[in-house]
Formats: sequence, structure tokens, C-alpha cells
Amino acid sequence: MNGIHDLGGMHGLGPVAREENEPVFHEEWERRVFAVLNLTMAAGQYNVDELRHAIERMAPARYLETPYYEHWLHAAEDLLDAKGVVTREELAQRVAEIAKRSSGEPRGMNEPPRGAAASERVRDAGRGQGK
Amino acid sequence: MPALPKEQVRAAIRAGLSARADVATPPRFKVGERVVARNIHPTGHTRLPRYARGKRGVVQRHHGGFVFPDTRAHGLGDQPQHLYNIRFEARELWGADAAEGDGIYLDLWESYLEAEGSL
Repeated sequence: MNGIHDLGGMHGLGPVAREENEPVFHEEWERRVFAVLNLTMAAGQYNVDELRHAIERMAPARYLETPYYEHWLHAAEDLLDAKGVVTREELAQRVAEIAKRSSGEPRGMNEPPRGAAASERVRDAGRGQGK
Repeated sequence: MPALPKEQVRAAIRAGLSARADVATPPRFKVGERVVARNIHPTGHTRLPRYARGKRGVVQRHHGGFVFPDTRAHGLGDQPQHLYNIRFEARELWGADAAEGDGIYLDLWESYLEAEGSL
């Protein structure tokens, strides 16, 4: 599909950001998302091409605003719901349970991510241009 | 798709799984042959980037048979095809302002390609 993932040749996104000594995971939740995707694929729920296409179907603005592993999380939620393994209702219920137990506010999908998103880097890159 | 046996999971995550598969038909293109990437705009999954569609390139390598992501992404099976490495000149992709001698190498499945002159 002609989606936002197919960026080749597009201008205005700024330079590629390189991080010195980049860790494998920036946050603990990224490590967990990595495990969820790999283990659900190993369990035969979907293959890597279905995973990639699920990421391609993200809303374009959301795709640019979210860090890499949030794309994976989106794909897991989308595919596991489509296949009836974990429904949206079950997911929402579990998120609410965990929030109640930890007596803190859950960091839901509608809140800004902690990690540096592509859109933030694009904004930073834009500050140095056009002078 | 079948579940992976438990004892194979760790190795699969560390090293990845092979996507190689046998193709019954002989390869349609040979190394050195000039090809054109087809101008397709499927609404489903594809590994053919937009910037290469309709562009001419040269076959650098025949990788062998590989499962086809465009069908696998939609539950339509492996349908393996021959996979080739194609060099596209930067000027073919980006015009006269691109550096002469620069090129981009893409791994492309056989059904993405036509022989030059056949389009």
C-alpha cells in the first residue's frame, strides 16, 4: 500500500538521528513488547509480513509521532484482536485493572510516548533550517 | 501458520528464521539482464518501494526462491518466487541532479519485474 511507511525520496524529515552507544531498549516496556511480538509469532498467531502490514495500516500522523516499539505494540493489539486472541475489551479491562492496582494513572495509547518520536526529531531538525 | 516447537524459539529469536523456499519454475531473469520494476499500486502489502516503480535497473544477483510477503501478509500462503538483487542508477531514480555512478540496490521478487522492452 502507498502508506506513510514508504518514505524513500521524501524531503523535510531532517537528518538521520544517530545515538552514541544506543541501548537495545530505551524503556522496560519496549523489552516486553519485543517479547510479546516474538512469542505470539512463535506461537503461530501471525507472521512477520502480517506484522509489517499491521504497522503500515497505522494512522499516518500516529505512525510519525510514535517510537519504533509502539508500532510493534499497535500491530500486536490489532492482530490479536482481529484473530480473537485478546479482544479490545479484554485489553481495556486489563489496563484498568493494572491502573487500579498500582493506584496510578495508566499511560494509555492516547498519551504522548516517553521516547523520542520521529515527529519530535523532525521538529528539532526543522528549527535549524530556513534561516 | 504452525507454532514453533518450544525448544526452537530461543534460537529463532536470536538468529531469525529462513524465508528460503523452493520454486518449481526456472528463474525468468539472469544476472546482467536489464529489467523494469512494474508500476503497481496494490492496496495490500508490498516490498516494492514507490520510488522504484516504472524504473529501469540491472540484475546483480539471483538469490534463489523466497516466500512472497505480498501474499503471506494476507493469509494467501507462501507462494515462493525467485528473488533478485537489482541495481538502479541514482539518476534513473532521482534525475539529472543525482550523483553519477551512485546506485541503489533492492532485493525484488520476480513478479515485481518485467524484461526491459517488454513494457
